[in-house]
Amino acid sequence: MPRPVDLLQGTLDLLILKTLSWGPAHGYAVARWIEQLTGEVLNVGEGSLYPALHRLEERGWVTSEWQLSSTKRRTKVYRLTTDGRGQLRAESSQWASFVDAVAKVLRAQEQPS
Amino acid sequence: MTRWLRYFEFFRRDPRRDIDDEIRAHLELRQADLVAQGFTPEVARARAQREFGDAAAVRETTVRVDERMMRREHRAEWWDTITRDVRVALRSLRANPGFAVSAIVCAAAGIGITAAIVSASYSVLMRSLPYRDSDRLVAIYAENTQHDWHGVNVSWGDFASWRDNNRAFQDGAAGVAIWTWTTNTLTSAATAGDDAERIYGAYVSWNLFRVLGVSPIIGRNFLPEEDAPGRNHEIIISHRLWTRRFGSDSALVGKTLQLDGRPWTVIGVMPPGFNFPDRGDAWEPFAADPNESHGNRQYAGAIGRLAPGVSVEQARADLHRIDADLEARFRDENLNWRAEVMPLRDDLVGNLRDPLKVLLAAVGLVLLLACINVANLMLARGASRAREIAIRSALGASRERLVRQLMTESLVVALAGGALGVGVAALVIRLVRAAFPGGLPFYITLGVDRAALAMVAAITIVTAILFGIIPAIRGSRADLNASLRDGARGGSGVDKARLRNALVVGEIALSAVLLTAALLLMRTYRNLHETPLGFTEQGIATAQLTLPRNAGYPTATDVQRFYARLFERLRNAPNVASVGAAQGIPFTGWDVQGDVHVEGEAPAPPGQELSTHFQYVSADYFKTMGVSLVSGRWLDASDADTLNLHVLITQQLVAKAFHGAEPLGKRVRIGRDPWATVVGVIQDYHHYRLPEPPPPAIFYSTAAYTPRQMTIAIRAKSGDPHDLVPLLRSAVREIDPQVALFQVQTMDEVVMRMLWRQRLMGNVLGTFAALALAMACVGLYGVVSYAVSQRTREIGVRVALGATRGTVLRLVLGHGTRLVMAGIAAGLVAAYFAMRILQTLLYGVHATDPMTFGIVALGLTAVALLAAAIPSRRATRVDPIIAMRAE
Repeated sequence: MPRPVDLLQGTLDLLILKTLSWGPAHGYAVARWIEQLTGEVLNVGEGSLYPALHRLEERGWVTSEWQLSSTKRRTKVYRLTTDGRGQLRAESSQWASFVDAVAKVLRAQEQPS
Repeated sequence: MTRWLRYFEFFRRDPRRDIDDEIRAHLELRQADLVAQGFTPEVARARAQREFGDAAAVRETTVRVDERMMRREHRAEWWDTITRDVRVALRSLRANPGFAVSAIVCAAAGIGITAAIVSASYSVLMRSLPYRDSDRLVAIYAENTQHDWHGVNVSWGDFASWRDNNRAFQDGAAGVAIWTWTTNTLTSAATAGDDAERIYGAYVSWNLFRVLGVSPIIGRNFLPEEDAPGRNHEIIISHRLWTRRFGSDSALVGKTLQLDGRPWTVIGVMPPGFNFPDRGDAWEPFAADPNESHGNRQYAGAIGRLAPGVSVEQARADLHRIDADLEARFRDENLNWRAEVMPLRDDLVGNLRDPLKVLLAAVGLVLLLACINVANLMLARGASRAREIAIRSALGASRERLVRQLMTESLVVALAGGALGVGVAALVIRLVRAAFPGGLPFYITLGVDRAALAMVAAITIVTAILFGIIPAIRGSRADLNASLRDGARGGSGVDKARLRNALVVGEIALSAVLLTAALLLMRTYRNLHETPLGFTEQGIATAQLTLPRNAGYPTATDVQRFYARLFERLRNAPNVASVGAAQGIPFTGWDVQGDVHVEGEAPAPPGQELSTHFQYVSADYFKTMGVSLVSGRWLDASDADTLNLHVLITQQLVAKAFHGAEPLGKRVRIGRDPWATVVGVIQDYHHYRLPEPPPPAIFYSTAAYTPRQMTIAIRAKSGDPHDLVPLLRSAVREIDPQVALFQVQTMDEVVMRMLWRQRLMGNVLGTFAALALAMACVGLYGVVSYAVSQRTREIGVRVALGATRGTVLRLVLGHGTRLVMAGIAAGLVAAYFAMRILQTLLYGVHATDPMTFGIVALGLTAVALLAAAIPSRRATRVDPIIAMRAE
C-alpha cells in the first residue's frame, strides 16, 4: 500500500465537487469514493472533509438535506448546485492548466537562457 | 417524509446537534464497512474512531461555519422582508396620495415647529452664558421696597459696601464688580483717515473681567491701580472692533487711540464672541470717586460671582443684611433701598420668559394636534382597508405579517414626516432669528437641538405606529364573515367611528384654544399699534450725537453754539419742516425721573412723592414730534435765563401735581433743583414704552442749558424721512467732522422696534392657529367623507324612497355639525381657563374677552362646516341604483 499523499490546498474542494457531480452523497460516501478513485493514494482526512463540505455549502456550491438512512438514522446528504457545477467547471480547467504548466517545467530538457 | 423533515430542519436547525449526527452516521457507516471486511464490532468501532481523528476539532470548525452561514441567511431574509414591506407600503401609499401627503405634512409640521420652538426655548432659558461657570453669576440692581421700584441703578457707595462686607460671593477680586454704560466717539485710529464713529462700551471696575472669568486674548487685564480717578488711561477693546477697525493689528496693544478727544492706551483685546454688558466694543476703568454718596444711584448695575455652593437666595439675604446696616447709617439716602439679586441669565432673558412659556404651551398644542391628525388619518386609512385586511387574513396572511405591513406603512409616513420636519425646524429657526431686530443677542444661540428634534420625532412616530396598527390588530382579529358581509364597513366600525369622532372633536377644541390665543395676541398688537401715541411718528428722522468735552466742546456755550449752527443749517434745507432735539426721544430707553414739588404746597410726606419724568428739549422739539400745546406758549430762545428757568409740563402733571388748578405762572421744581416757572402745558404722549401710560413730565429749555448728548429729530415736509439722513450727516460733518452720529433711525422704526415682541408673538401664534385650523379641517373632512362612504347605501335607499337632496345634506351635515359644535364648546371652555397664562402679555383686551371668543366660535364654525360640507355634497349626488348595486 503506497504512502498516502497530503492534498494540496484547495484541491479537496475540487475533488468534492467532482464527486458530487455524479449525484447526491453523504460525507462518508464522498470520502470513500475519493479514496477508491485514487487507489487510496490520496487520503481525505475526515478532519478536513467535513469543514470543507460545510464551507462549500456556505458558499452556495452545494446544498444539504437530511434523509433517513437504511438504518433509520438521520444522515446529511450533499447535492451539487448549479453554481457548484459552474465552479467545478472553472476549477477543473484551472487545475488542468496548472498541471500542464508544472508538467512542462518538469519535462524541460534545457535550462532556460 | 423528506418534506416533513425539511420543515423539521427549518424550525429546529441546530448546528451542534447536526454535526454530531453527521459524525455519528459517518462512524457507523465506517464501522459497518469494517465489520463487513471481517473485523469484530469492537475493533471496527475503535478503528473508525481512530481514522476519523479529532472529532472535537471538526465539530468546532463546522459549527463556526454553519453559524456564520445562518446569521447571513437571517440577515438576508430580514432585509428581504423589510424591502418587500417598504415596497408594498410605498405602492399602497402611492395609490392613495391624499392620505400620504396629509399625514406626512401633518407630521412634518408638528415635528418641525415643535422641535424649533423647544430648541429655541432651551437655548434661551437653559444654555449657559459665554462666561466661566456662568450659573454662579448674578446681576445686582437696587430696589426700593416702599415704591416697589425694581431694576434701579446702583450707587458707588452701596456697591463698595456690598463688595467689602459680603460673605456670599467669591473671595477677592473675582467677587463683585460694578459697571455702567458709556458711548464714545472714536476719532483717530491706528489707520488714519477713518471717519469718526460712535462706539458702545462700558465703564467697568478693574476686576469685572475677573468676575466674569474671561481674560483678554491679547494683552492683559486691568490692574487695581488703573481704576483710580486720574489714573485711568487704559482701555480694553473687543475682538470685533480690533478686526473691523484695526485690521487685527497684533501690534495694537500698547498703542494709543483717541476717544472723545482723549488719548487712551490699548492694553488688551477680548476673545472673539465676548460681549458685555450686551454689545460693547470698548471697556474703560470705572474710576469712581471713592467718596461718592450712597444716594447717587446712577450706575447701570453690579455683577457678582457667588462663592461655590451659595444660592442666589443666600446671596440676596447676605446683601440685605448689609443694606439694613446702610439704612441705619444713611437714613436719607438708603431708607427702603436694598439690593435686588437675580441670576445673570434671568436678567438677560427675563423679558423673553413669559412669551416663551406661551409659545411652548402653544407648540405643545400644535404637536398634540399633529399627533391627533396623524392618528386620525391612520385610523381612517385602517377603516377603509378593513375589507382588504380581512381578505388577506382569510388568504392566510398571519396577523404578525399584517401588523408588520401596516406598521411599515406608518413608519414610512412617520419617517418621511420626520425628515421633512428637520427642514421645517431649520426654516422656523431661521424665521425666529430674522424676527430679532438688530440681530440675535449674544447670549442666545439658535439652532435646531438634536435632542429636542429626536424627542419630538419619537412622539410623532410612536403615534403614527400606534394608530397605524390599531386597525391591523382589530382587522386581523375581526370576524371575517361579518367584515366581508358588511362590505366596506369594516369589523368594528362603530368603535372606530367613535374614536375618530372623539379625535376630531379634540382637534377642533385645540384649534379653538390656539385661535383664541392668536386672536388675543394679535388684538394686543393692534391695540398697542393703534394706541394714540400723543405724537405723530410718521415723517421723522432721528439721530443721536454727543459732543466730547475734550475735543472742542469744553463749555456749555460751545455745545450750544454747535447745536445752534446745526439747527440753522437743517432748518434752511429743502424738505425740512422743522428740527428739534431732546435728551431722549420716546421709546429709546431714556427715562430720568425725580420727585416734583409745587411751590406753595406742603412737601409730600415720605412715600407719597410724585415721581415725574424730566429732560431738556429744544424750542421746536414738540412741534417736530407733533405734540400739541394745550395752553400757554412754547419754549423759545427767550427762555435762556438760568436764574429764572421756564418749563413746559404735561397734562398728567397738571392733573397729578396741580390737581387740575391753573398751572401757568406757577413754579415747580425737581428734588432740590432750582425753581422753574410753568409757561405752557402740552398734550400727554407716551414716552417710555407701551403700554405704560403717558408720564407726568417737566421739560426744561436747551436755551438755558444744552446737554452734550442729544437726539436730533427732523420732520420732513413730504416723502421718506430716510432721505433726510444724508442731509443730517453732511450738515454735522461740515460743522465738525469729529462728531459721530449714531442710532440713526426714523421714528416709525423706533415705534416698530418697541412692538417687535408683540408683533412676533401675534404672528407666530397666528401661524400656529392657522395650521391648527387646517389640520382640524383635514381631520373633519376625513371623518365626514368616511361617514358618507359608509352610508352610501343607506342614502341610496333614502333617495329611492323619495328623500330630497336637502334632506340628505342635512342628514350628513348634521353629523359634522354635531362634532364641530362639541369641539368648539370644549375648546372655548378650555380657552377660558388656559388664556390666564396670557394675561401678562395682553394689552387692551381681557384674557376672557367675550368678543374674541365669539369671533373664534363663529369663524371656526364657518370654516369647519365648509370642510364638512364638501364631502357632504357628495352624498347628495348619490345615485340610488349605483349605490345599492355597489354592495
